[in-house]
Amino acid sequence: MRRVNALLVFSIGLVLLGAAAAGAQGRGKEIVVGLGAEPRTMLAATIVDWTTNNMLEHIYDRLLDRDPKTFKPKPMLAESWRIVNDTTWEFKLRRGVKFHNGEPFTAASVKATIDYALDPATKSHFASAAYWGLVKEVQIVDDFTVRFVTKQPWPNMVDSASLTNSLIMPAKALKDLGPEKLAQHPIGTGPFKFVEWKRDERLVLERNADYWQGPADATRVTFRFIPEFSARLAALLSGEIDVMKDVPPHVVDAVERSGRAKLRATVSSRINYLALVNLKPGPMQDVRVRRAMNHAVDVDELIKQVLKGRASRMCGPLSPANVDYAPAECYKHDVARAHALFKDAGVDPTKLQLTLDTPSGRYPLDKDVSLAIAAQLQRLGIKVNVVVNEWGTHLDKIKNRNTGEMFFLGWGPALHGQGTMQPLFLGDQTYSSYGNNKILDEKIARAQTLLEPKARADAYAELQRLVRDEAPWVFLWQQHDLYGVASHIEWTPRADEKVWMYEARVTPR
Amino acid sequence: MRAYAVSRLAQTALVVFLSLTAVFAMVRLSGDPVLLFMPMDIQAKDVNEFRQRLGFNDPLPVQYARFVGGALRGDFGESLRYRRDAMGLVLERLPATLLLAGASLLLTLAVAVPLGVLSAVRRDGFLDHVGTISAVLGQATPGFWLGLMLIYLFSVQLRWLPTGGIGSVAHLVMPSIVLAAFYSARITRLTRSAVLEVLGEEYILTARAKGLGEGRVIGKHTLRNSAIPIVTLAGLELGQILGGAVITETIFAWPGLGRLTVQALLNRDFPVVLAAVFFISVTYTLLNLAVDLLYGWLDPRVRLR
Repeated sequence: MRRVNALLVFSIGLVLLGAAAAGAQGRGKEIVVGLGAEPRTMLAATIVDWTTNNMLEHIYDRLLDRDPKTFKPKPMLAESWRIVNDTTWEFKLRRGVKFHNGEPFTAASVKATIDYALDPATKSHFASAAYWGLVKEVQIVDDFTVRFVTKQPWPNMVDSASLTNSLIMPAKALKDLGPEKLAQHPIGTGPFKFVEWKRDERLVLERNADYWQGPADATRVTFRFIPEFSARLAALLSGEIDVMKDVPPHVVDAVERSGRAKLRATVSSRINYLALVNLKPGPMQDVRVRRAMNHAVDVDELIKQVLKGRASRMCGPLSPANVDYAPAECYKHDVARAHALFKDAGVDPTKLQLTLDTPSGRYPLDKDVSLAIAAQLQRLGIKVNVVVNEWGTHLDKIKNRNTGEMFFLGWGPALHGQGTMQPLFLGDQTYSSYGNNKILDEKIARAQTLLEPKARADAYAELQRLVRDEAPWVFLWQQHDLYGVASHIEWTPRADEKVWMYEARVTPR
Repeated sequence: MRAYAVSRLAQTALVVFLSLTAVFAMVRLSGDPVLLFMPMDIQAKDVNEFRQRLGFNDPLPVQYARFVGGALRGDFGESLRYRRDAMGLVLERLPATLLLAGASLLLTLAVAVPLGVLSAVRRDGFLDHVGTISAVLGQATPGFWLGLMLIYLFSVQLRWLPTGGIGSVAHLVMPSIVLAAFYSARITRLTRSAVLEVLGEEYILTARAKGLGEGRVIGKHTLRNSAIPIVTLAGLELGQILGGAVITETIFAWPGLGRLTVQALLNRDFPVVLAAVFFISVTYTLLNLAVDLLYGWLDPRVRLR
């Protein structure tokens, strides 16, 4: 009898195994995206977090989209926009768009969403001045015209409206159901509708057949949360997931050779830099030392040897993916020049003992890059102690100005000048490493109020020149985003990290 | 018996209270929680405003009193990261954790006890050596390595099993094996030595002398008498799996409690950490109590007072 039972259990097991294997094959036009983390909420306009908002923008639409090539804002829920006066922007809205519950999209939806974000009771991150905090009020002109009145001139407003900052929620549902209910079952205008969210497991969406841009090719999009990178890669290679973000440079070959997936790469708007901290006493307060460091570090070698070419060098604080970018002259790798600058500053590099703080696993090969920089500086006789921090500790150290003379950090998506200049080069900001430069303080404050395009371009070009000469960082690079994509999926990644499966094509297997 | 249970429950309450206090102190020392759930480009004054609103600017004793007050009512506050009831997040992970813990414990016992018994009976025989070697290997193999190798073999190469996640029995196979490989090593060794000890007893000699079959000698007389240390260890291991199968849960994307707890620690999501510690310490002490009560049943000479 006992033996029969064991046999029964065994055969049931086999049947279930078979079922699971069959499930992996017959997924039809479903796309499964593997991500390292799950979303933090299903409400738009609440939490600033790439993972969360990337999933949300399959359900909700933005006010404006961005052209994937030029990075310029382009129409989405809003069809056009104009400046009415120094503190007023006007948007004309698209007609005939419906939310998933049938509620029409109107000016009231936009107002309700921004009001929600600004309401202190909702504790939205978007209430900060870096997001919608500069908005005084949203006025409804008519059903399809809306005006944003700002507290001060805000030339960047359209940039904010063309990010996930502007995912729009339905006004009536928000009022009747309340945020609590909407968080359980989100309602947007986007290409996919919410089906279910199983915590720490998966988020399942199905195609919105009535989408105003036409239905997506994929009938279903599932986001699976697989925290371990190797397991995520295994899931891609075994065909369980179709799209994976952040393939590390050293396994690119394994993906290409697998025959089941291919690599898709794009230059990202996310930047990496080595901060030379001038906010506390030490050698980095001397601009000559900071310039010497820029000549001492061989950035091209780091890109070639450590990152296998998967990064684009930057010479100033902004990258070409940034709308306010202006070209800057690179610091050449020149050890003799570095020695001369050190001598000029009265610093003997062989007596320098520096500390470099780095996170591990937060940015592509961050720790390895830091160790390689230490080795390069060692060639000049500089002793560098590399301290590897857990991410939370790293942030604490930067905020409390407790890092060594140098730290490694990334920033992004860095799509407009203000978003980099203001938080990183003013001394009183949370994550800045450099500041208290009266000229820069003044010019940064002025640049963000300029509405006229030419004046703004000139102001940011001048700022980039000044920052480059001040050398607050060893300027490093733009990251390359590396995606693994299953062979039967056609999809091109974008520099702004919008991973949007509406743009994917599924060819039958 | 009842007095015993009551006093043990009181001890449980004390242990839970002390561990919560210790963890409260430790997480507060670990750093600022606000930075980790706020976007990086948020301004300094907004960060401070959030801290104020969440009560992190209050003196520590005030925060502690507020926490204890809430905990007594079963309210551990809202997750900083997910903005949902912290205990709710913990309880949501419970079924998955119980399933994995149960499956791996069953597998552990199914492999380890027979192997341990056979090793003892055929002492220094071939099986004994196999048992010793596999125990050393199981104990020495890192779980993440074994997990990744299994995934590579059974998911990527053979494509028999899913790489991770939860849903069918197939999803349960590899994580259970990884956990059982580690835990069964200890139980095999313990079973072997406990059985060996009992086999040397005179009543075993008597049992054999009166002509009992070897099966009954081992199954009835030996195993039951060597069960106490095995049950103790199995109980402890179950407690460990319930709260700490972190690596296995992470590699196999298993939506369990250990993974939630470690993520909460890394994100400094204090309410979730405390709710999880509360839950894990309660289960752990209750499991110990259950093991102690089992002694009385296994060995009638044990009287609990």
